[in-house]
Amino acid sequence: MLIVAAGIITLSLSAMALQYRITAQALEARQAEVLAADLTGFAQFYEQRRIPGLREAIEARAAVTPPDAALYLLQDRNGTTLAGNLPAWPEGLTKAGEMFAPLPAQDINLPGGQYRGVARDLPGGFPLLAARSQAPVTQTLADLRGTILWVAAGLSALALVAGWLVARAVVGRIHRVNTLADRVAEGDLSARLPDPRGSDEFGALETHFNAMLDRIEALNRATHRLSDNIAHELRTPLNRIRQRLDRIEGQDEAVAAIRADMAGTIRIFDSLLDISGAEAASGQRPGLVPLNLSEIAAEVFELYEPLAEDKGLAASAAIAPDAMILGERNLIAQLVSNLLDNAIKYCAPGDAVSLTLTVDGDRHVLSLADTGPGMPEDIRATMFDRFTRSARDRETSGHGLGLALVQAIATRHGAKLTLPSSDKGFRIDIAWPKLPRS
Amino acid sequence: MTTPQTRILIVEDDPVAADALAAAVRDLDCDPVVMRSYEDGLKAAGLAEFRVIVFDRMLPGGDGIDAIAKIRAAGSSALVLVVSALGRASNKIEGLEKGADDYLAKPFDAEELRARLRALLRRHDMAVLDNDLITFGPLQIRTKARTVHVRNQHIPVSPKEFELITYFARNAGETVTRMQLLENVWNLHFDPQTNVVDVHVGRLRRKLEQAAGHPVIHTDRGVGYVFDPQKDHAE
Repeated sequence: MLIVAAGIITLSLSAMALQYRITAQALEARQAEVLAADLTGFAQFYEQRRIPGLREAIEARAAVTPPDAALYLLQDRNGTTLAGNLPAWPEGLTKAGEMFAPLPAQDINLPGGQYRGVARDLPGGFPLLAARSQAPVTQTLADLRGTILWVAAGLSALALVAGWLVARAVVGRIHRVNTLADRVAEGDLSARLPDPRGSDEFGALETHFNAMLDRIEALNRATHRLSDNIAHELRTPLNRIRQRLDRIEGQDEAVAAIRADMAGTIRIFDSLLDISGAEAASGQRPGLVPLNLSEIAAEVFELYEPLAEDKGLAASAAIAPDAMILGERNLIAQLVSNLLDNAIKYCAPGDAVSLTLTVDGDRHVLSLADTGPGMPEDIRATMFDRFTRSARDRETSGHGLGLALVQAIATRHGAKLTLPSSDKGFRIDIAWPKLPRS
Repeated sequence: MTTPQTRILIVEDDPVAADALAAAVRDLDCDPVVMRSYEDGLKAAGLAEFRVIVFDRMLPGGDGIDAIAKIRAAGSSALVLVVSALGRASNKIEGLEKGADDYLAKPFDAEELRARLRALLRRHDMAVLDNDLITFGPLQIRTKARTVHVRNQHIPVSPKEFELITYFARNAGETVTRMQLLENVWNLHFDPQTNVVDVHVGRLRRKLEQAAGHPVIHTDRGVGYVFDPQKDHAE
């Protein structure tokens, strides 16, 4: 905005500078014309009666010309003044040119002022000086400069004020839209711009923004309704099967197997719905509360520690206290649980599993490392996709949803997930944004 | 503990689920009253005295969760168990936050349902029984000091193990499911892939058995555990 104002001011100043130069040139040309007219007049007198005629002409001219406006001087070959308004030939003034030609002209600086004119010897050694004062020119130009200065100052002030006003109006309206976008990004899908005003482009933009948000909100609601409906429509018949299973007698093993399969099925679609739910809520503030990540990590570690011990693993935790974040407790517990569960599942007796929580700049870094077999090469690229399982792990139970859920939960909390390479085993770092101090 | 007059209201539109719920209620020697819609359920809750109300969620006419506040506002002291196909962790947490006393996801096991109903019926009885000392013969649990003693011998337990034994003690003699333990002792509302709870119960069980000389926590196969220090040593 300032650049535009500066540009306009520069342009105006350039125009005025051009005007100034044209004026200066015109004034100088005018002075030169007056001088040329004088010289033409003198030339005519000289032609008729030579030096005496010229002497009379100069006397007459000097008499009618206001003092300081022009210099006239005619001398004889001894340096005696014949006519003119100068007492003596100015010191150091050189002579150039022929007869009464207006050129070459030269600047003559006298204590009384600045003049421009011709100085030369007429035939027979009669020095002639005729010059016009530059005072009117310099005076006019000085006035003009003053005017230009004031106009420029006024113009700059005007441009700045106008620019600021326009900028404030434009920036203000853009700010409205930006504020709205921020609120939406924070998860408030119901945020709207109040009374979209005007029929200009900004009004249209605001109307479009509101319409777009209406659409997003409707889609979001439909998605939520859809997952609720999926859950309801699938679980209700599954529930009937389960209740009917309970009435079957004498085939306990088959019934137990069917129950286990059903539980597995439900776990899969719960995980899928959890993943898409966490993804849909990504970056949204609502539902997140201040939490002590250290406590949750410690609790879940404590839940898994005996399991690791029983399996002959060396489990250790180094958790920095009171790492506060904005989060959903159950989701975070599930994330830590999935990581520990995986580590314990894939490690062999003698391996080590460690959970650490450290503070790194504006993030709390939760990392889980083990000395197990590590992530198989065949799924390194797709390990966070749903249903990714390595050929190596066909024998181990699971559906390849654990890490997909870990990533979805991390993303929902604005946490960054990285996999630092380690010599042995698997390591994952999750950097959580710190709770902003209120 | 319960009398045949103890009434439990069931608000459930799916007939098979309603039958299963009613059967479980009868197993507990209580009277089931079944309603099929949100409005009827709400009306019934205001008309009679119920110990427990089992509410479905996606009912014709409304969501059972929204009924809880209305039932409470009407002065009912009934405990509310939500049984719903909306069974994800986030749904459960939402339900508990909105005042449900317990939340069970469909499909449910009959045993799990009975365990939950029993726990609620007991909670009704136990509300005042909040002393410092819980005693089962030689076994003593001091809730303020958070210590466990058998025949005056101190048994070292971790803080979590203490919470575990306290929860068991409050439900002594009844089956407690793994899911109930995970929810009440660990405050976790998801299903871990591994049975982590078993390991913790196993450790506590060994400690208590060593000190008492006989099993204190018994396994109810496929369902959960029963804490019963005075049970015969048959197992």
